Amino acid sequence: MDAASSGAATLFRMEGVSKRYGGVRALEEADLAVHPGRIHAILGENGAGKSTLIKVMSGVVAPDAGTMTLDGRPVTFASPAEANRAGIVCIFQELSLIPDLSVADNIVISDPPKRFGMIDRRAQRRIAEQALARAGASDIHPSALVKDLPLSRRQMVEIAKALARNPRILILDEATSALTASDVKKVFDVLKRLRSEGLALLYISHRMHEIAELADECTVFRNGRKIATYEAGTKSDAEVIELMIGREYHNVFPPKAVPAADAAPMLECRNLNWADRLNDISFTVRAGEVVGLGGLDGQGQRELLLALFGVLRGLGGEMLVDGRPVSLKSPAHASSDKVGMALIPEDRKTEGLMLPMTVRENLAFAAMDKVSRRGVIDRAAESRLIDEMIKLLAIRTAGTDIPVGALSGGNQQKVVIAKWLMRQPRIILLNDPTRGIDVGTKQEIYQLLRRLADAGAAIVFYSTDYDELIGCCDRVLVLYDGAIKRELVGDEITEHALIASALNIGMSEAAEMTGAKP
Amino acid sequence: MSDMGTAAGPLGALKSRMPKFLHKVDPAVATAFACIVLLLIVGSIYSTSFLSPEYLLQQLKVASFLGVIATGMMLVILLGQIDLSVPWTVATGAMMASAAAAFGPTGVVLAIPFGILCGAAIGTVNGIGVAYLRIPSMIITLATNAVAQGLMVVYTGGFSPQDSASAAMRWMATGVLIPGVPNAVIVWAIIGAATVFVLTRTTFGRSVYAIGNRERAAYLSGVDTRRVVLIAFAVSGGLSAFGGVLLAGYASKAAQSMGDPYLLPAIAAVVLGGTSILGGRGSYLGTVAGVILITLLQSILSVMQMPEAGRQITYGVVIVAMLLLYGRSPATRA
Repeated sequence: MDAASSGAATLFRMEGVSKRYGGVRALEEADLAVHPGRIHAILGENGAGKSTLIKVMSGVVAPDAGTMTLDGRPVTFASPAEANRAGIVCIFQELSLIPDLSVADNIVISDPPKRFGMIDRRAQRRIAEQALARAGASDIHPSALVKDLPLSRRQMVEIAKALARNPRILILDEATSALTASDVKKVFDVLKRLRSEGLALLYISHRMHEIAELADECTVFRNGRKIATYEAGTKSDAEVIELMIGREYHNVFPPKAVPAADAAPMLECRNLNWADRLNDISFTVRAGEVVGLGGLDGQGQRELLLALFGVLRGLGGEMLVDGRPVSLKSPAHASSDKVGMALIPEDRKTEGLMLPMTVRENLAFAAMDKVSRRGVIDRAAESRLIDEMIKLLAIRTAGTDIPVGALSGGNQQKVVIAKWLMRQPRIILLNDPTRGIDVGTKQEIYQLLRRLADAGAAIVFYSTDYDELIGCCDRVLVLYDGAIKRELVGDEITEHALIASALNIGMSEAAEMTGAKP
Repeated sequence: MSDMGTAAGPLGALKSRMPKFLHKVDPAVATAFACIVLLLIVGSIYSTSFLSPEYLLQQLKVASFLGVIATGMMLVILLGQIDLSVPWTVATGAMMASAAAAFGPTGVVLAIPFGILCGAAIGTVNGIGVAYLRIPSMIITLATNAVAQGLMVVYTGGFSPQDSASAAMRWMATGVLIPGVPNAVIVWAIIGAATVFVLTRTTFGRSVYAIGNRERAAYLSGVDTRRVVLIAFAVSGGLSAFGGVLLAGYASKAAQSMGDPYLLPAIAAVVLGGTSILGGRGSYLGTVAGVILITLLQSILSVMQMPEAGRQITYGVVIVAMLLLYGRSPATRA
């Protein structure tokens, strides 16, 4: 490799790295250079390839193509443990601590100090104390149980655990998303100190303010490709968002109907609250309307859909269907003919389908009461209804008696939607229905949504893809931290407005950015 | 990635060469039947009477007790659960039916339904525990088994129960209504036919398979999953007790710990018949094959006059070997 031209300061370099999952290109020809004593921020939308990049770097997945060099020498990692030994340690988004073990046990879990073949508890404690001190969390007692610590303290233990492995490159993936503002400040102080000690840090976050404060250089990813690397502070927020969105991807969306403002509200929520995940959510959806849920991943959108469908226990607030108050106890209740709700769940493999069961069984499953009498299934009626649905949604399958798991992702998703359409629902909730499916099927789903709305259904549609929200929705509710931060109507729904509200940047900044749009 | 089904792998190619009626046969079920044939051949080497109709009918009769019990077990295993309360549910069914038979003419009439009802009650407790209280089935069924045992010991005072089976119970287990076919076999056939119907043609059956595959998906599809689980456990308890009623009729009376030898064979029969121990997959035909297989195995081991210890060891080893052969589920499709 051209180690000479990369400069002596480059600690780690990745060139032309690609990774595919099935038909999805998660990472394509990605390049990245990491330098000691610098904090390198990685930016990008959901699904831009950031997570895959980190997984490749830390040995969780093997790349399909490309090379990685450490200190100018080519390296490959067969496992996270190998990457750890090479000095690359990652702190993942989901906490990886074992709640019932002590802090010290957790910190040395992968390689406990041994004496005569047994764990040397004194050495273990010493290591833990050092690591905690280095992480700026010496107030945490090494023998405390992790489950007794609050979430923010656990995150500090997580950082100490990473430091105990003596990393040369520390990767933080959304490591601050669980922290309060004061804890974030503490973590930042630690990170800055580590930087001055000569560590290379790779920092992934959706929070623009954090990146502005911390980063020395930034790299933007989009659709699995590296778009640009620049010195921090050389680009405005508007320019960065421009880089993140890109301009090359556009779908054909069906025309939106003229909103009928006088239509009666079909679904109305007042002050919905659930644990600390949903805060005071109020909105209405009228017949014929497609209402989008926007915002960053994990801001309460999924919980909101589950709450509407009667899955969550202990939901506070009021819900009205057709103007009548309802209290939904279960999906069975929500999908009954009286309420007429349907939920296309997030993960079709675990929530939408029984993969080993046949296409027929899956399609008929939500509407079994429609094709049976006293619990006995009428096979002829079932076949009629199923054939109708397969034709309506153009599901490509080699028969109805093959396992649904044998279909392609797009067709599986169509089965999930079809099984609910068989009930002719009036309120349709969709949880990111186009994730991981091909563009052609996506467009069919957009058309279908609009047809259903035109036929009088009320649709609530969560998507992690901003283009979809813009193309499909009459209104978009942007959620942040479990609350509706902004409602965008009609022409207000733009990429800039969506991203600005999703990042919870002030309105003036957002307006400025919308103005900066070419 | 093509949009068409990807079912045609090497297995698909093999399948297309087989005669059409074999397409639907689960390889595990076919293996179980092949093992039955193999056992019969091995047995006939020891004694030619092994292939006589009398011997085979006798085996079928013995198998039908296990068959009734295994039917309930299969229902629960299809859900991805297990019912370990079989031993004392069997004994409870037998003892309570015999006890009822001692209460005059009404008792005689109600003996069989009463025994089954007691089993269904135990099953209902199991079902409530698993479905509503979310207690792992392995724990709750073990606990109800212990409670049932305690109750029966209290009832009998720890001695062997004195009541004898009613005439109807004896007739059902040992009588012959259709010449040549023992009544117990007919009972099993009726229960089996009903089970096949329920599993393949009713919304309840579909829900059982769906819950065994993905309880979450079934729940989100609007199925009252807890009710289905509750009913399945209640039916399992009822069928175990019914097995006990038949056994009491067969032996003319109930006995302490008469259900003990039926727990492992019932589970083994279901799993050897190709039902996934993780739930969601399996056919009743397979369970029939598994029951016959287990019964023949036990019979052959006793005919060989192997000492009890050796018989137990061989029995266990053969079951493990068969499970290794085909009892594990194949890798799932994409």
